[in-house]
Formats: sequence, structure tokens, C-alpha cells
Amino acid sequence: MSMHEQLSDDLSLYALGALEGEERAAVDKHLAECPECRQEVARLRGDLALLALSVSGTKPPLRSHQRLKAAVAKEPRPIRPGRVPSRNWLRPFEWVVAAAALILVLLLAHQNRDLQRRISDLEVRSAAQQQKAAQAEDLLAVLNSVDAQHFTLVASKTPPQPEGKAIYQRKTGTLVFLASNMPQLPPLKIYEVWLIPASGAPIPAGLFKPDAHGGASVIKPPLPLGVEAKTFAITIEPEEGSAAPTSQPIMVGAPG
Amino acid sequence: MSELYERYSGIVYSVALRVLGDTGAAEDILQEVFMKIWRGPNLFDENRGSLAGWLAVIARNRAIDALRKRQPESDIADVVVAIEPDMVRSADWSRALDKIRSALAGMPVPQRSALEMAFFEGLTHTEISEKTGEHLGTVKTRIRAGLKALRKAFEQ
Repeated sequence: MSMHEQLSDDLSLYALGALEGEERAAVDKHLAECPECRQEVARLRGDLALLALSVSGTKPPLRSHQRLKAAVAKEPRPIRPGRVPSRNWLRPFEWVVAAAALILVLLLAHQNRDLQRRISDLEVRSAAQQQKAAQAEDLLAVLNSVDAQHFTLVASKTPPQPEGKAIYQRKTGTLVFLASNMPQLPPLKIYEVWLIPASGAPIPAGLFKPDAHGGASVIKPPLPLGVEAKTFAITIEPEEGSAAPTSQPIMVGAPG
Repeated sequence: MSELYERYSGIVYSVALRVLGDTGAAEDILQEVFMKIWRGPNLFDENRGSLAGWLAVIARNRAIDALRKRQPESDIADVVVAIEPDMVRSADWSRALDKIRSALAGMPVPQRSALEMAFFEGLTHTEISEKTGEHLGTVKTRIRAGLKALRKAFEQ
């Protein structure tokens, strides 16, 4: 029989406090190492509590309560009196708690109103932005559409001329380029738009092939921010485009 | 504290009175136990189960110490009592008491008597053996069997 089995027989006597001397010391030592037996001792004490509770029912005399109250009054109040329901120690501060709760409610109500106002502001702004975005999308859709008809109006009796229009915003690096009456390209060639800066080499600003009517557009090609444009130019480049112009410009613009 | 006293003083007092058989001595135990709770409000850990059960065991241990005129054997904070926490809170309390009492009543007299001598008189098994003239092993067996019967009655 192991030590564990031998001692487990003595646990009920231990829980009763009926073991003495070496027997008791042996159980103490074992309990220090054996959570299972500690649990069993606790359960046995639970059984003993039932035995103790079987005799309950006699009220102590009133003087006992008076005596306890007098003793308690002489001692400083502890921070938290045991397992008395927690609201008990709060009782003297109930009005403070109630006031704090009221303030909290008012604060939350105020915050709520503020949040509601901000939400409705945001809703209005969001609606306006959505409208603008929808307009921009419509515009781009028309510009990019294959079936949109492009007309270039020139003086009467003048044959239509190739024409490019570049609208450029420096700070955002945004370019919208529209072209009309562009001659058809030879095979394996493409038109390339160039941003000609005030100083430095031309910067590639998009590729395009004209449609059957000579119309084309380049919308927001990738460009660095903040570059001041002296003008824009167009060259004919190999179909994959070039990093630097490989031919003379066929069209060059001027601010206007 | 008043609420605590109102609810549990009867348990502490009754147990101490049963052990000591003297109202004055039982009042002393009552005072001692409640003052300990007042001074050390964290002594009782909720994880230890029912406060009523814990107080009953503490009261019994203190009363036995007083009976035997010895120093307290263990700190009350070290006493862990595993008992159904809701038992004495519920409306079933009187039914629970009936169960315990009928389990005790149903025990063979020598078994009940050994258990009560050990618990309420604080006698060691050797002392019970000497008092009853029964074999030490028999006393041990009776105490164990008595406790088992109590647990079984309550589990039903």
C-alpha cells in the first residue's frame, strides 16, 4: 500500500482533528504535496459542517449582540467586512454613488447628443461628396467612352487639324489629356505624351492610340507631384513606350 | 456586520453550545469568531464554499480548543470547507436540515456515537477507543462510515 493510500484512510480522522503526534504530522506532510487529498479533507470538512449544522437553531441571547457591537465600536472599521454582501459597505455612501451615477448619465446623454450631431454632419458631407464623385465618374465615363462622339470646331473652310488639350494640376500631379483628329499610327507605334518641365528632362505622361475618328484621351497618368510644367509635347514612340523621347515632337503645347 | 450576525450567529452559537454545554462559554466563542471576522474581513474566501458551513466548522474547532483548554490548533484562515455554497441560502434549508438529522437518526447507534464523540467532544480515536472499550480500528471505521453516510444522505 502506498503512502497515499495509507494516509487517505486517516483523512477523516484528520479532518475531525482526531489525529495526534506522528500520525498528524505524517498527514500534514502528505497534504502539503497532494492536492487530491487536500481536496478530500476539504470535502470531509464539508461533511462535518453538515454535522455541525444539524445542531443549529439556538439563537444566542441578545446580550451577545450588544457585547459584539461594543467590542466592534472600539476597533477601527476594517476596509472590507468579510463576505457581507458588497452593497452593505457602500450604504453610507449611497447618496455619493447615486450622485455620481446621475452625473454619469447626464454626461453620457450630452455625449450622445454631440455624437448624433456629428453623425448627421458627416452624413450631409458624405452625401455631397458622393454626388461630386458621381458627377466625376459620369464625366470620365463620357470622356473614355468608345461610342462618344467628339467634335472639334474650327473656323469654316479650315480642314480639321490634330489637336491636343492638356489640363494639368501641379500640386496633385494630375493630368487630363484629350486629343482629336490624330492621324492613325504606323504599326507597332504609339503616341506618347510628355510633360516638359521648366528644367530637366521630359517626363513620360501617358501613351495613347487614337480611335477611328482620331480621338483619344489620357486620364491621370502616374506623375510626380509638384513638377512645374513648361509645356506638354507628343512624340511617336515604339509601341511599349519610351522613358525618354526617341523622336522629335509632332505636337508641342503652350500654356493657354 | 449586523446582517452577518443576524444570519449566522445562531449557527456559531448553537455549535459552540453543543460542544461546550455552557451558554457563557458558547457566547465567548461567538464573540471570538465574529471579532476575528471583523478584524480580518478577508479570512473567508468565497471559493471555500458556504459561509455557514465554514463558520460551523470554525465554531466547532474553537469550541473544542476551549473545551480541551488548549491553544488554537490552526489558524482559521487555513480551514478549507468544501460544501455546496447555496445549501444554506436556499429555501431548501429546512429540508437540508431534515436530511442531515434523519441521516444521523438512521445510523447505527455505535457509529453515530463515535462520530459525535469525535466531532462534538473532540475526542481522539484513541480516547474513544478507551472510553468505549472498542478496538481502535473499529472506532476509525465507524467514524469514516458515519461521515460517508452523511455525505451520501445529502447527495441524494
